[in-house]
Amino acid sequence: MLKNLFILILLFASVCVFGQGKFIAKNAYISFYSSTPMEDILGESNESVTILDAEKGEVIFQAIMTTFHFKRALMEEHFNENYMESAKFPKAKFKGTIEGFKKEMLKGPVSGIKITGVLSVHGVDKTITVPGTIGLEDGKLVGTSKFKVIPEDYGITIPSVVRDKIGKEMEITVKASYLPYNQ
Amino acid sequence: MKIKYSVILVLAIVVICAGIGLKMFFKPHADINKLEAKFKVEAIILIAEFQKDENAATLKYSEKPIEISGKLVAKNKLPNGIQVLVLENEMEGISCQLDSSWVSSNKPAIEGLQNGQTITVKGICKGYLMEIKVSPAVLVIK
Repeated sequence: MLKNLFILILLFASVCVFGQGKFIAKNAYISFYSSTPMEDILGESNESVTILDAEKGEVIFQAIMTTFHFKRALMEEHFNENYMESAKFPKAKFKGTIEGFKKEMLKGPVSGIKITGVLSVHGVDKTITVPGTIGLEDGKLVGTSKFKVIPEDYGITIPSVVRDKIGKEMEITVKASYLPYNQ
Repeated sequence: MKIKYSVILVLAIVVICAGIGLKMFFKPHADINKLEAKFKVEAIILIAEFQKDENAATLKYSEKPIEISGKLVAKNKLPNGIQVLVLENEMEGISCQLDSSWVSSNKPAIEGLQNGQTITVKGICKGYLMEIKVSPAVLVIK
């Protein structure tokens, strides 16, 4: 009984905390996946940094391109050298706002939220709207998103020889587990 | 007779090329444990370098194997099981993601780590995002 009460107080306290200020995740997960009859390509990074402003509903993501790891060393090499040109464009960034943001959303889970903002990849800025979820998961504020991008939209040219091996669209999966951020 | 040798020669070239191609395709990731560190640096010095001039430090260290010594301030396990060691400052220090295959064969060494102790980590420097990202990394056991 006492234990339950304690958990209840803890949950209530975390909900109160989650209504204000900024939140940070320094090890957010981002993956992109493309499936074709020839080969599945999956690149994963656990090193993206994201900040969520719980007052304005603003979200910022940043990732270092070379932190994406692939099953095959050759895939990683091609990704960085031929497609993303990671030496020239080392970081990707997204800055957006949750549409119709209300602080109550943070007490969720709320699915079907929409985030509109600018995605900067490979030196190209593009305004996109992506779906997502937000809310408490095991006492932590968690945000997720899954959307598709077309490499050519970001000036990434894939040679015709390997164009069939790489899907036309890349599926991007994002998951961040936020902690309160005291600046 | 000449044609027969030519056919054998062409076949041999095709086999060698296919072999090289396959070897490249299945090339394994570099084993960080065996790579020699290009730089051996104190954690606080590395942090100061990145904070002073990110571009210059990125140019100097990015994608290079480096060995860093510093104070362990946090040992985190990510939801997908990846082990992270943070040096010097939890928010703006050095975040080292350990190589998962190395971790699985060196569990006692990881479990024995205590916050506050000085450790040495070897890994590939990835650059700066609020903190210095190093991955994959291994603990240097002296």
